[in-house]
Amino acid sequence: MKILHYSMLFFGGVIVFYMLFVIVSYCTMLIIAMLDLRKRYRLDPSEYDDAHIDAFYSKPVSLLVPAYNEEVGVVDTVYSLLNLRYPQTEIIIINDGSTDNTLQTVIKHFQMKPVNKIIKTNIHTKQVIQIYESEIYMNCILVDKVNGGKADALNVGINVSQYPYFCSIDGDSILDEKALLRVMKPIVLSDGEVIAAGGNIRIANGAKMQLGSIYDMRLPSNYLVIMQIIEYLRAFLMGRIALSKFNLVLIISGAFSVFSKKWAVEAGGYSTNIIGEDMELVVNIHRLIKEKKENKRIEFVPDPVCWTEAPHTLSVLRNQRRRWHQGMFESLWKHKKMTLNPRYGLIGMVSFPYFWLVECLGPVVELGGYIYIIIAFFLGQIYYEMAILLLLLFVIYGVIFSVASVLFEAWSMNTYPRKRDLLRMITLAFTEIFWYRPLTLLWRCEGLIRFVRRKSEWGNMKRVGIAEKEKSV
Amino acid sequence: MIDLSLDFLLSVIAILFIVLCGFMMYIFYQRQSEVRFKKSRDIYLKDYSQLWYEYLFNNEIFSVVLIPRGKPQVQAIEMIFSSYLKNITNDDMRWKMKNFSNQYLKTFYENDLMNKRWSIRMNALYRIADLQLDELLDACKKLETTKYSKEEFFQLLKIYSLFQPELFIQKIKVPNANYSESEYRRLFVLLEEDTFMRFFDEFTSWSMSIQFAVIDTAAAKKNMKYIEKLEQLLTNENDEIKIRALKGLFEIGVIENINPYIPFVTSHLWEVRLMVGKIFKYVPLSYSYPYLEQLLQDENWWVRSQAAKTIAEDRDGLEKLKEFISYSTDHYAVEMAQETIMRKQGTR
Repeated sequence: MKILHYSMLFFGGVIVFYMLFVIVSYCTMLIIAMLDLRKRYRLDPSEYDDAHIDAFYSKPVSLLVPAYNEEVGVVDTVYSLLNLRYPQTEIIIINDGSTDNTLQTVIKHFQMKPVNKIIKTNIHTKQVIQIYESEIYMNCILVDKVNGGKADALNVGINVSQYPYFCSIDGDSILDEKALLRVMKPIVLSDGEVIAAGGNIRIANGAKMQLGSIYDMRLPSNYLVIMQIIEYLRAFLMGRIALSKFNLVLIISGAFSVFSKKWAVEAGGYSTNIIGEDMELVVNIHRLIKEKKENKRIEFVPDPVCWTEAPHTLSVLRNQRRRWHQGMFESLWKHKKMTLNPRYGLIGMVSFPYFWLVECLGPVVELGGYIYIIIAFFLGQIYYEMAILLLLLFVIYGVIFSVASVLFEAWSMNTYPRKRDLLRMITLAFTEIFWYRPLTLLWRCEGLIRFVRRKSEWGNMKRVGIAEKEKSV
Repeated sequence: MIDLSLDFLLSVIAILFIVLCGFMMYIFYQRQSEVRFKKSRDIYLKDYSQLWYEYLFNNEIFSVVLIPRGKPQVQAIEMIFSSYLKNITNDDMRWKMKNFSNQYLKTFYENDLMNKRWSIRMNALYRIADLQLDELLDACKKLETTKYSKEEFFQLLKIYSLFQPELFIQKIKVPNANYSESEYRRLFVLLEEDTFMRFFDEFTSWSMSIQFAVIDTAAAKKNMKYIEKLEQLLTNENDEIKIRALKGLFEIGVIENINPYIPFVTSHLWEVRLMVGKIFKYVPLSYSYPYLEQLLQDENWWVRSQAAKTIAEDRDGLEKLKEFISYSTDHYAVEMAQETIMRKQGTR
């Protein structure tokens, strides 16, 4: 009995201290993000946009769209790229051996004709079958290749690209017309000191869209999707902005990020043998920066928005979260020597420990917390109070931070202008700790188990297309 | 200890909830005021956009109803002016806007310049430059006596470049004002000819970013007056300066004498050889072919590709390439020539 008592006290203490540590970390990051956004509040961004719409002030970018079985979303994605306000781009759609009609859809829609094109092989990839060029849109290229995964498709895109910067965009994502202009801002204004930048990803389910442009933003009806919207806002306010400020970003989403081609090629391009290829590239570049002792930065840009389709069923979401977590573990494990290694500066001393402790092991400890609460309620006595203490910490961690993120986003960016939508998000945020949080924790722990068992498979999300079509779900 | 912690945590949660509730109420209130603001602005736009058009373009008499009363109307006027400024170049229109702004918008922006909030001050500085509010020059100078940000100083430089070029030259020399090339280009592109030329005269005294921006701006202006200045830079010790000067000369697109460029064919830098390959586009093939053939056999893929492209662009280029294929033993160069011919002949 004594063993049980001491182990309950020990685990309770560990979980409470861990939660306090995470709450303090998140609070700090939230404050940094708030100060940053507050400074820019009501600043007229059109001044920069109008000045940099001229090619003379910007840098040309190749837009890479890897597509595997994306026949539903790829056309809208390409239209959103054609709508971009940016002076010099080329669109490269890479069909990664799709088994559906992705290739035929793109050929038909954009009137693609086969061409002979000289490709410089910077990165070794699977075989390219044919290159096509659009007859109606200048600089719109389709590459048909043997299936090799998303990373391989992106590497082909890098080889085919002719510009010094490339931007990867998921085949199911939609970019705001000014997104590229603004994500390139730190790169242009730093004279190449910033070598990669990631944009803000938002969930598009529920939006109204026409030919790749979102014209009305509404909250979807699916609770699972709304919870993901809140989760994205949290991640954005409690992580990315603060980490970016100190050049500590390890993840910029593959759904929308810009890289210097020179650095990406030197870092070996996207790794094909790892699940989280986007994180892997960022870590590789950070490693390269430190090894070459160069003063370069990777930034997250809060403003530019890329709209993406969120999973709307539990099974798809489970698959996605499992993969994300497994990918993160793989990458951190692969570069474990960077952890607490002063040679890698703040990346080794702060970023890696943070990702290990908070992002990777977090789900295990948090899930332990939930299990602890259940056991403690059965055991009663002193543990009962410990359980309440933990529960209150979960309320701060889960509910308060979520509500604060929703409100702060409403104040600074106002993505969902309707009062009803805002109230719905706040109400749902209150329920997070009871269903959504435990579920995602469970899935992330599954990701950890899969990493340990070295299990790997491609999670192909069944898509219905962004926006309006959500009604049919 | 746990009792105390529970009480403490409960108090923290209660306080946080009250703060968040207050914040939510504030957001709702703020949204209401924004709706009222937009309504008032839109009414002005609806009622007076036509009058503005008549005044600016049809020489109608200025009506006093156009004078703004309050911030929403100022914003409406900004929107009208901005849409015309972006799309129409008309000196008379600009003069009218400038006069109107100096007379009726000055006080608004003067107050904004003294605002505590950085973003409001920045917006005011943007408008002063866009609407050419030269009467606020002194107020802008006064801003320099306060603690200003790097972004604010950039806007001040832009304003000085428009209203007092001498002061601009003086201020840009301040060592703590370091901006990116792209930002310097934004400043230089607006400069008058004489002021811009002064940057060439004192070229070596400027920072690298300024030197690069000067060359790039000269290239973008495509003015033949800069050819001589750029050719002088070809002897500069810095490789990047040489490459950019070559690029600038390529952009201007007038090559009178091939001799200064010939030494670059054997440069140790592939970027230089590439640029020469491009520049030879403006020289008759009969003069440039021996050098282009040399570049076609270059070790660098980009240089070979450019040389082939430049040859192919000439009227006799394809024949020259075919001839080259028939006698050359350089496998890579022949392959490049063949691919270029294929592309040129449209066997896509």
